[in-house]
Amino acid sequence: MHSFGYRANALLTFAVTILALMCAMASLSDNLNSPSPTSQVQVLNINWFQKKLDGDDEVSMTLNVSANLESLFTWNTKQVFVFLAAEYETPKNSLNQRKLSNDQANDHKLGCPCGMVLYLPKSMQNSGSIPQTSTASLIKQGSNLRGREFNLTLHWHVMPKTGKMFADKIVMSGYRLPEAYR
Amino acid sequence: MFGQMDWQGQKLAEQLVQIMLVSFAVMALLVGYALESFQSMMLIYAGGVALTTLITAPNWPFFNRHPLNWLDQSEAVKHPKPKLLRT
Repeated sequence: MHSFGYRANALLTFAVTILALMCAMASLSDNLNSPSPTSQVQVLNINWFQKKLDGDDEVSMTLNVSANLESLFTWNTKQVFVFLAAEYETPKNSLNQRKLSNDQANDHKLGCPCGMVLYLPKSMQNSGSIPQTSTASLIKQGSNLRGREFNLTLHWHVMPKTGKMFADKIVMSGYRLPEAYR
Repeated sequence: MFGQMDWQGQKLAEQLVQIMLVSFAVMALLVGYALESFQSMMLIYAGGVALTTLITAPNWPFFNRHPLNWLDQSEAVKHPKPKLLRT
């Protein structure tokens, strides 16, 4: 410690190390938080239900989505990504999942080859509940989905300010596609 | 201000750095958690680092209260280095 530069260097190195420890503690403090989110989805209307030329089925429905995700936010949360997915079984694949796509202009398109886009607004900053009515369409891989039962699952990914991202979901079951094409 | 510190001063400077940084970090964590504000934690800590740098890095007079008394040049000349008898 015999010069200004030596002391300043030692001090700053120590300060940065302690900063890393502080961020780790902040991330660990998230474990003290026990979130209790709720959500509810209502199928207001099946707009149309068709068989496409390539054999897959396509359905368009109007949903009323309401969710309260306030308990997910802590002091260490930067943003939360939320989306809705539909899960169903076909004889070929035991589990299919499709993110519901939306034609709204403010959506963020992911450019996935199967044409899926994020359904809900791509990030929620400091907001809790999202009651939202909008049109969603499902392009399902697989034919003959008439009368098929499906689960709607609300997925969320919590992006912290420091630490590891974690994801969770709520499964809402009991939805059913109509018996006939319309 | 950029001269050399004496030994006691260096020890004091190192202790000050460690104590101040750790206590500012703990304080920042607790205040940030209580106020639910990540930004206040970072601001308090940054302020603490700046304050610590201000106090410990420059060579303030209170770091030089135990100076070492080296032998005067005139005195050293009177007592030359002893010569070795055998090489």
